Amino acid sequence: MATIANDFTINIATANGTGSQSANLILLQSLFEMGIPVSGKNMFPSNISGLPTWYIVRLSDLGYQAPGDRTHIQVLVNPATWDEDLESLETGSVVIWNSDAKKEMNREDIISYPVPMSSLARKINPKIAKLVTNIVYVGILAEMLGIDQAALESALSKQFKGKEKAIGLNITALGLGRDYFKDNLSKEDPYVVEGRELDTAKFFIDGNEATALGCHFGGVQMLAWYPITPSSGIAEAIIEYIPQIRTNDEGEATCAVIQAEDELAAAGMVIGAGWAGGRGMTATSGPGISLMQEFIGLAYFAEVPSVFWDVNRVGPSTGLPTRTQQSDITMLYEGSHGDTQHIVLIPGTVEECFEFGWRAMDYSERFQTPVFGLSDLDLGMNRWACEGFTYPEQDMDRGKVVRDRDVFEAFEDFGRYLDVDGDGIPYRTLPGSGMDPVLYRGTGHNTKGVYSEKPQDYVALMSRLKNKINGARELLPAPLLREEIECEVGVIYIGSMENTIQEIDDILEATGLKVSQCRVRALPFSNQVAEFIRRHETTIVLEINRDGQLWGILRKELPNDLVTKVHSVAYSDGQPPRARIYSDLIMAKLEEVEQ
Amino acid sequence: MSEAPKRPAKVIKLNVINEPKDSYTGGPSSLCPGCGHDQISNVIIAAAWENGIEPHRIAKMSGIGCSSKTPAYYLGQSHGFNTVHGRMPSVTTGAYAVNKDLLYLGVSGDGDSASIGIGQLIHAIRRNVDMVYILENNGVYGLTKGQYSATADIGSKKKKGTPNETQPIDLCALAINLGCSFVARSFSGSKKQLKSLVKAAMSHKGFALIDVISPCVTFNNNDESLKSYGYVKDNNVTLHVADYIPNRAPMEEIEVPEGHYRDITLHDGSVIRLETISEEHDPTNAVAALSALHAADAESKHVTGLLYFDGTKPSLIEDLGLVESALIDVPESELRPSREILDKLNAAFLS
Repeated sequence: MATIANDFTINIATANGTGSQSANLILLQSLFEMGIPVSGKNMFPSNISGLPTWYIVRLSDLGYQAPGDRTHIQVLVNPATWDEDLESLETGSVVIWNSDAKKEMNREDIISYPVPMSSLARKINPKIAKLVTNIVYVGILAEMLGIDQAALESALSKQFKGKEKAIGLNITALGLGRDYFKDNLSKEDPYVVEGRELDTAKFFIDGNEATALGCHFGGVQMLAWYPITPSSGIAEAIIEYIPQIRTNDEGEATCAVIQAEDELAAAGMVIGAGWAGGRGMTATSGPGISLMQEFIGLAYFAEVPSVFWDVNRVGPSTGLPTRTQQSDITMLYEGSHGDTQHIVLIPGTVEECFEFGWRAMDYSERFQTPVFGLSDLDLGMNRWACEGFTYPEQDMDRGKVVRDRDVFEAFEDFGRYLDVDGDGIPYRTLPGSGMDPVLYRGTGHNTKGVYSEKPQDYVALMSRLKNKINGARELLPAPLLREEIECEVGVIYIGSMENTIQEIDDILEATGLKVSQCRVRALPFSNQVAEFIRRHETTIVLEINRDGQLWGILRKELPNDLVTKVHSVAYSDGQPPRARIYSDLIMAKLEEVEQ
Repeated sequence: MSEAPKRPAKVIKLNVINEPKDSYTGGPSSLCPGCGHDQISNVIIAAAWENGIEPHRIAKMSGIGCSSKTPAYYLGQSHGFNTVHGRMPSVTTGAYAVNKDLLYLGVSGDGDSASIGIGQLIHAIRRNVDMVYILENNGVYGLTKGQYSATADIGSKKKKGTPNETQPIDLCALAINLGCSFVARSFSGSKKQLKSLVKAAMSHKGFALIDVISPCVTFNNNDESLKSYGYVKDNNVTLHVADYIPNRAPMEEIEVPEGHYRDITLHDGSVIRLETISEEHDPTNAVAALSALHAADAESKHVTGLLYFDGTKPSLIEDLGLVESALIDVPESELRPSREILDKLNAAFLS
């Protein structure tokens, strides 16, 4: 039988709260340590214990990181989803199933590996049999696929960081799994793993932790947060790193953390910190941003630096709290009532999560305005390969703050909202400085910050704000272009779609369609985006939502002659993007456009 | 050409930091003539001046409403933030976390604090944010033209409409139950008492709530209103005469009356002297404070004075575990971890 190496998808069906996540991460990490390009997706429920969870491991020498079109190897532990999981498998798939689960194996057209996982686990320790069951299936997979024992043990020691007892117990359980496969089953499937030599060393990290580190290297001074999935990991990692990288020898911190009573208060605290001259931030998800809208308008109008990270989950309303989507784009870009426009940074990799973490603080102080980081559950909560983080190449940009009385006195005329330099960005002084004391307000104001309802004051203020944000277009992270001259079709996309785009591109190319790519990394759009559209006959805007939000914003801002050239492909079912779905939709859209 | 007549020399009184009172005033008020809030603004000006606080070291914070407009009318040399409705406490909390060295002077109203902002008020008290919180309480929404607020007393009737039948929220009782470290009630018409309380609150480290009954002359100053000037004047149960004794030579001598008094020493060494009027009230006893509130309430009266005080509670900044200087004064080189730290992190991830 011909073998299939490093090109298959494993789906592990367990129940939440049984410890399967540790076992799955050990499996993932061990494959990663063998140098195999691998990705893991945790499909977990909004629940602490008992509801179905799936973990999808994709191995791909081509570097594909989406879950893939189908499952090749199914691990069945959870009786609750047994029938459904089994039914969805294609003929020839492998099923490793817990024969103690009192469920039927009714498929004849699959390769069946029954394993009494629960009894094996009970042998080790009946009290924690449920936990051990998970590591037993990792042992089975290890034997069946040929995973290095050394890689497994290294992954184990990373997972349990020095807890020798846990490591020992898990090594025993792995061995039981391996032995059971050797002694009782014979390999009938073609799937194997092969170690690869990597050009560069890499490690696994999730986007939330990378963002948190980025914020620290941006010198965040105050984090105010309210727990919400899938963003809590950012706040928790910020807190976790403070003792290590943000305290002095006396153990005193340079970053305050306040767990707020709700998202409204968190936003208020961020704005208070920004008003006082500090770097404040919060991390939340769509429902939190909805609650923060009023404050976001205040920060825009009163021009207060403030950083908001949104780890997008499925909306509207509570939606699917543990599933991924790109559906907060419009809400961030045009957040709050009245005419507003905000800077949004959209990382697509963990390296960018780090980079945009510190850059967000710089942009916010430079432009004296709220800045959003838009991540999503897929990028934020799943682990991705990372080559390492790059130290900020520039000093912190604190923007136009007048701290020195001599500088202040040198101004011919000073007004908090006076556009001295023509870039729409005024100068500010800080509370406590005694210079230009001003009462910040969310009401209409003139260049001195004094209440005004005069039409000319309002129009001047609103135009200046527009100019100010427009001025950011070419200073924000530029779009990343992958372009070949002969391509007639361009694809514009954002964020974590980065991890699926190569596979989409390859599927399209296999049908004879070559496309250029443009990954937008910030709003407002760089003018390069319009130029990209101009260079192509047709451009698809690809996004993980229903309504084509990015496409909508683009249409509003493009010159008329380009508007008809951009078409939307937007789809979201809560699952991480699968390449085949989007490539099919792109082809259907192109056909529709041609007609 | 004859010389212009000289203006006669004027004696300008200076405070301990050699500032005239003018350094503490603000712009002209746009509130209704006779508004209680303007009296409170004047008290704030006098208290800050007499306490000798550098005007630029004060941060004026407010929410939305008539009361929240007043920061424009006092302390023109201080920065301020007129934020959003009911959310001044969170903005103050964030500012305080990064700059603990300012005196945060919050002004709010009953619409702002007893309804939309009650959650933020509660949590600011819970955290013991170091701030003065003056609640200008008139029982009605003024800017939207006279709807009842959540502090309107049962049976009280505003100028237009029917009497209020909804149970009011007593924010002083709430604050005492929450363990607020400084809780006082006063009346905008009792300038002396109010000034002593504001000065004491400014010397207090921790959250100081002063609920000031401040009649709305336009919508709620009729005889049937329990928050009208006339009613409050006639039904004010004063717990004690309060005198503020600064931690340095006072500008004027304090008269020490005969009878009992109690001195409460504040965090900066100044003292608030409470001279007993009738029965002695013990402001360190939360139950006594609540009893005084309930007793007054039962007779539809307003009890004023320093209701409750606890000088032992740590304020929020002590809980945050921060470096000694205010965070905004920490140099950027200490805010951003070094290149070596990042190299170490990268290496640790790879190992």
